Amino acid sequence: MLSQYILRRLISFPFILIGLSSVIFVLLYVLPGDPARLMAGQGATAQVVASIRHELGLDLPLPVQYGNYLWRVAHGDFGRSFQSHRPVLEEVGTVYPKTLQLALAAEGLAVVAGVSLGLLATVAQQRWVNYGLLTLSVLSLSLPLFWLALILQILFSLRLHWLPPSGYQMGLDKYIVLPAITLALPTAGYLARITHAAMASMKESDFMRTAYAKGATRRRAVLRHLLPNALVPIISVAGTDLSRLLAGILIVETIFSWPGIGKYAYDALVQRDMPALQAAVLVFGGTVLLVNLIVDLLYTLANPTIRYGA
Amino acid sequence: MALDSIPMAPSAFGPLPDLNDSQMAPRRSLWRELRRDALIVGSAIVILLLLVVALAADKVAPYDPTAIDMKGQLINGKRVFPPYGPSPAHWFGTDQLGRDIFSRVIFGIRTSLFIGVVVRGGVMLVGVTLGVVAGYWPGLLREGILRFTEIMLSFPPLLIAMAITAVLQPSLSTVTIALILVGWPDVVRLVYGQVLITREMMYVEAARSLGASEWRILWRHILPNIIDLIVVAFSMGIPGAVMYEAGLSFFGFGIQPPTPSLGSIISDGRGYMTVAPWYTLFPGLALVVIVLAFNFLGEGLLRLSHRGQS
Repeated sequence: MLSQYILRRLISFPFILIGLSSVIFVLLYVLPGDPARLMAGQGATAQVVASIRHELGLDLPLPVQYGNYLWRVAHGDFGRSFQSHRPVLEEVGTVYPKTLQLALAAEGLAVVAGVSLGLLATVAQQRWVNYGLLTLSVLSLSLPLFWLALILQILFSLRLHWLPPSGYQMGLDKYIVLPAITLALPTAGYLARITHAAMASMKESDFMRTAYAKGATRRRAVLRHLLPNALVPIISVAGTDLSRLLAGILIVETIFSWPGIGKYAYDALVQRDMPALQAAVLVFGGTVLLVNLIVDLLYTLANPTIRYGA
Repeated sequence: MALDSIPMAPSAFGPLPDLNDSQMAPRRSLWRELRRDALIVGSAIVILLLLVVALAADKVAPYDPTAIDMKGQLINGKRVFPPYGPSPAHWFGTDQLGRDIFSRVIFGIRTSLFIGVVVRGGVMLVGVTLGVVAGYWPGLLREGILRFTEIMLSFPPLLIAMAITAVLQPSLSTVTIALILVGWPDVVRLVYGQVLITREMMYVEAARSLGASEWRILWRHILPNIIDLIVVAFSMGIPGAVMYEAGLSFFGFGIQPPTPSLGSIISDGRGYMTVAPWYTLFPGLALVVIVLAFNFLGEGLLRLSHRGQS
């Protein structure tokens, strides 16, 4: 049951990637502005532009261009950036790890903050905690990321001078704090609520009563019995939410000048740098698809009833 | 959009639904239930107020949102030039051209609500149609729709919406088109799942065995039973559309001046974050109020529809 499902997912993965790149090609082919002229630079003669167009294969019929494009993408050749004239794959390779760094920091922050908040609320067992958590969670999901980023910049950089307003440094430097918090906040609020909801619904269940009957302390019952069982909905939510987090990365990276794939994609779009944009969107979409696949696998691992095909 | 994946979890782990109860529940108590729910009533009042403000923007706004005032003010014998801070004359202060930010925000709310309702309406139309088709007619069409939906779901929505408005030239109508094009896949997944469940219900089988045509089953038995879901999804998706429009306008790929948009006001304020933080703060707060009101309404409706089921 399970292995068949996973196998089907794995087999369909490359086909979905091809579909993804096709949609990208169709979408970006119609981007206005002449790439050849852009590449030649201003003041280039019509002859130079024409020769560049020929060199890039932009004078060929659309289906041929599409075939060439797929062939090149399948071989990992995304062409050269119109702006920097460097191979796009090389550039994406240097910016991609920085995005991973930011995304993982934000997701880690969100999971730790969200799950512990949810746990605390479950243990507190107060009615107002319920409402407080609901309000907090809905509020955190209602803050526009770009505005939140600016408000954090105003508060912590321009007013308090605690943190740099933007920039990048390797590792867990002070530069990562504001972008990571911006990205993590909505997910944290959401996770807190899911954790609380899942735990509240299981608190009265038989396995908890058994744990207490066998003399488990409250602390042990919650941490060893309730939390593992609540993991299934938490993982599934954290996973589906990771794709939302990735969607927000474009906004956060652009505002905080974080040199990742989101900012790379934005700059490419502004400069009509088609090869760069194509590669960025493909890497973006591929990442989301991969994350979804991994979450599905984790989900089956965390839930024995699915694992054993029950 | 991203926001309509708000948890269904609390009910999924709740007690088994009591079938007798839901069949006995009289439909006319719906209005009474609606009125009793403080969350629904409160958010509905706020939304109503926002709608009135939006529709009567010309009457409500104290100033012409485009009226420039560069004369300067005499304060303590010194001539001071805009941006002015919040004062009784200008509640939210003014921008660098002396335009009243409160009035601009009111017209911005009008744009936001218009986009929110129209975009979400379009998204529901496309999403429900494709979802019902995929859920009801198995075969190649279903596979095609589902695969295409999966591909579209993996795209970074904001980036694709930006690319589309860049192609079509950013304006009110192209923003609407772009946001509908990136918004529908979520709805397809939601409706598809629900149609699959509904078509296996006893009453559908009963109708079929009585000789009802497929169209009649669809219109009289399936659609009325997923209408709850459609209404909730419509309302919960409005804040997402509002936020995406603001995001597009913030990055310059959205609504263009002179039409006021909350996103572009925030973007304009970015250059004055040190000297005029109110310029960034207030339009963002307006955005938060809109999004919050719709999110709480959706929350209340969701709870109500769960209560109706169990």
